[in-house]
Amino acid sequence: MTTTLAGGRAARRQTMRRIRPRRSPATVLLLAVWAGAVGVLWLWWMNTPSIADQNGKILNAGRITGLLAGYLMALVVLQMARVPALERRVGSDRVARWHAMSGRYTLCLVFAHVFLIMWGYALQAGKSLGDIVQQTIDSINQLPDMGKAAIGTGLFVLIGLTSIGPVRRRLPYDTWYHVHLLTYAAVFLTFWHQITTGNDFAVEPTAKTFWYALYGSVTALVIWYRILVPIRLNMRHRMRVEAVIEETPGIVSVLIGGRKLHRMGAEAGQFFRWRFLAPGMRFSSHPYSLSAAPRPDMLRITVKAIGDHSARLRELTPGTRVWAEGPYGAMTAQRRSRGKVLLVAGGVGITPMRALFETLPGAAGDITLLYRANTTQDLALWDELAAIADDRGARLMYAVNSPDGERPDISAERLRQKLPDIDKHDVFMCGPAGFAQSVYEALRGAGVPARRIHHESFEM
Amino acid sequence: MKKSHPIRRVVLASAATVSGVVLLLSLKPASDPNAQAAGAAPQQTAGAQASPQGGTGSGTASGTIDGNVAQTQYGNVQVRLTVANGKITKAEAIQAPKGGTSDQKTALSIPKLTQETVAAQSAQIDAVSGATYTSNGYKQSLQSALDKMKASAGSAQSGGGSSQSGGSGSSSGAAQAKTVTGAVAQTQYGPVQVRITVANGKITKADAVQAPKGGLSDQKTALAIPKLNQEAVAAGNAQIDSVSGATYTSGGYKQSLQSALDQAGG
Repeated sequence: MTTTLAGGRAARRQTMRRIRPRRSPATVLLLAVWAGAVGVLWLWWMNTPSIADQNGKILNAGRITGLLAGYLMALVVLQMARVPALERRVGSDRVARWHAMSGRYTLCLVFAHVFLIMWGYALQAGKSLGDIVQQTIDSINQLPDMGKAAIGTGLFVLIGLTSIGPVRRRLPYDTWYHVHLLTYAAVFLTFWHQITTGNDFAVEPTAKTFWYALYGSVTALVIWYRILVPIRLNMRHRMRVEAVIEETPGIVSVLIGGRKLHRMGAEAGQFFRWRFLAPGMRFSSHPYSLSAAPRPDMLRITVKAIGDHSARLRELTPGTRVWAEGPYGAMTAQRRSRGKVLLVAGGVGITPMRALFETLPGAAGDITLLYRANTTQDLALWDELAAIADDRGARLMYAVNSPDGERPDISAERLRQKLPDIDKHDVFMCGPAGFAQSVYEALRGAGVPARRIHHESFEM
Repeated sequence: MKKSHPIRRVVLASAATVSGVVLLLSLKPASDPNAQAAGAAPQQTAGAQASPQGGTGSGTASGTIDGNVAQTQYGNVQVRLTVANGKITKAEAIQAPKGGTSDQKTALSIPKLTQETVAAQSAQIDAVSGATYTSNGYKQSLQSALDKMKASAGSAQSGGGSSQSGGSGSSSGAAQAKTVTGAVAQTQYGPVQVRITVANGKITKADAVQAPKGGLSDQKTALAIPKLNQEAVAAGNAQIDSVSGATYTSGGYKQSLQSALDQAGG
């Protein structure tokens, strides 16, 4: 099995193209987001001739935070719509971090908006800040769509609470995920009060049209890329588990067969979100990288048992239906800008590196893989890696703890010593956050520019 | 992967947001030029403003009079009247909404409005359809120019009292309380219509027979109308303050109140 996977010659030929680095569209997207925010503030500015008093200031602060929250909420959902430009070019990990960051910020804006508006209304009605609860109840009863908005805000509170670091770590992933799915309901419920009670939308029909267009296109993208595209993919490729192989204690490879798998457009370094239709596993999907270049009839993932889901993989029986979504991830050959490449893998982070090690185009000596693990027994896929290294004249190095448990020295000096022209390399890196951070600093110290260090991390 | 500093990020984001919002709020003027146009203060200055131009003719007001700036959501409108022997001989807009579709609307509406003004000799002119906001702004500014014109004429004639109360005072012999309903004033949240009870040339009671309903408007109406009714009785004229937070309703109220007063004053 090892040799057949290593010899995916068709796949290698496919990636043996000229090195054409594609820049991530992140900067352009961020500029567009800022421009939109300025547009929203401009809308408020044009519709507010003056602010008479303290009360007016509070109300208008509430309007500004509300408008910004409404705008950002659409983008927060858009970030999770699995749009290929975001998933494959910006990178799923980076987009997920944006999503977490902007999601928290947007929730803060939502809560500030609710507080400020209700405070403002209370003052306007001649009451004081202390009557804010009564005012909120009155507003929910009297104003259109406010009941819905209140329920939506309640859901946002729940979603926010379950996403706070310590709470989230204690919750089972599935619970957190299904609570998180309520975001769609919350966004839907809170949308309508923006249109019916929003001062700026009542005054400015163009603004209303724009708002409908924003939310409408996000909805369309979510339906298309999260529902329809995966359905088409799985109807076409009909994947099933072929075999489960134990690589090292605690690390298993799952071989997945299907039709015309090379047509899925997956590249080495990318991942799919996998859902195995076995009892107890069908309700959640998990991201696992391909650990070999895709072949027309076979995909392979290699997974370390660290959570409930990954531990159950070893119990999969051949023939189990597989539902996959992807491919996602931007850490592919497209990121490369130099002839020479250093791949750095920490532990099970070897999976995408293994696929890249096999397929990255390069002459003998161009490609180097540095593999870090606790012990030599933990070096999963080592035999394959050695075979690939032999086959293409690539360098393969490993670093393990010494017998007394001391960590290996991965410093700038040591890296330069092993690879004197390290500053001429592109570096691809995958591993636990702490490991990645220390290697990153060593690489920078050894003279590798930040833009040539390509890293993917799913830790927030 | 740069080192992340979650705390620093939170502090920066909050500080940037709070200071941004505070900056935006502080850049806005404290008083609505729109509300001021209908306010009481400009009337005192009106005479002084008009007299250098028209003060020479005794018993007649001649010259040009500029109305107050009326702010509409598409831009400012300001009317200039040329008056000879107490009659409007010419009306023009020295400010009107510009840019985008506003250019077109201004070009369409302003000539009609100025024509109507000269023909009607009052602010009771029809709005140009398709240019409601501009028309309303025009009428507001025109009304303030007319008020100034009346005030300067009144002071030149040195007659007793203001023209309005003088007018209704002459019919006070009947001493009968009468109820007058003002014209419906359209605001963007709904129509406003004021009914006043007048006895001996004084407003004894004011109420709104129509006011914006539904949504936020209920709240605003409940808040603003009682205040406006009180103010109307206290002031005896339409020069009352707008209720903050209910500017549109207040504007409509004042329009309708003015028309009721015009009817009552005959």
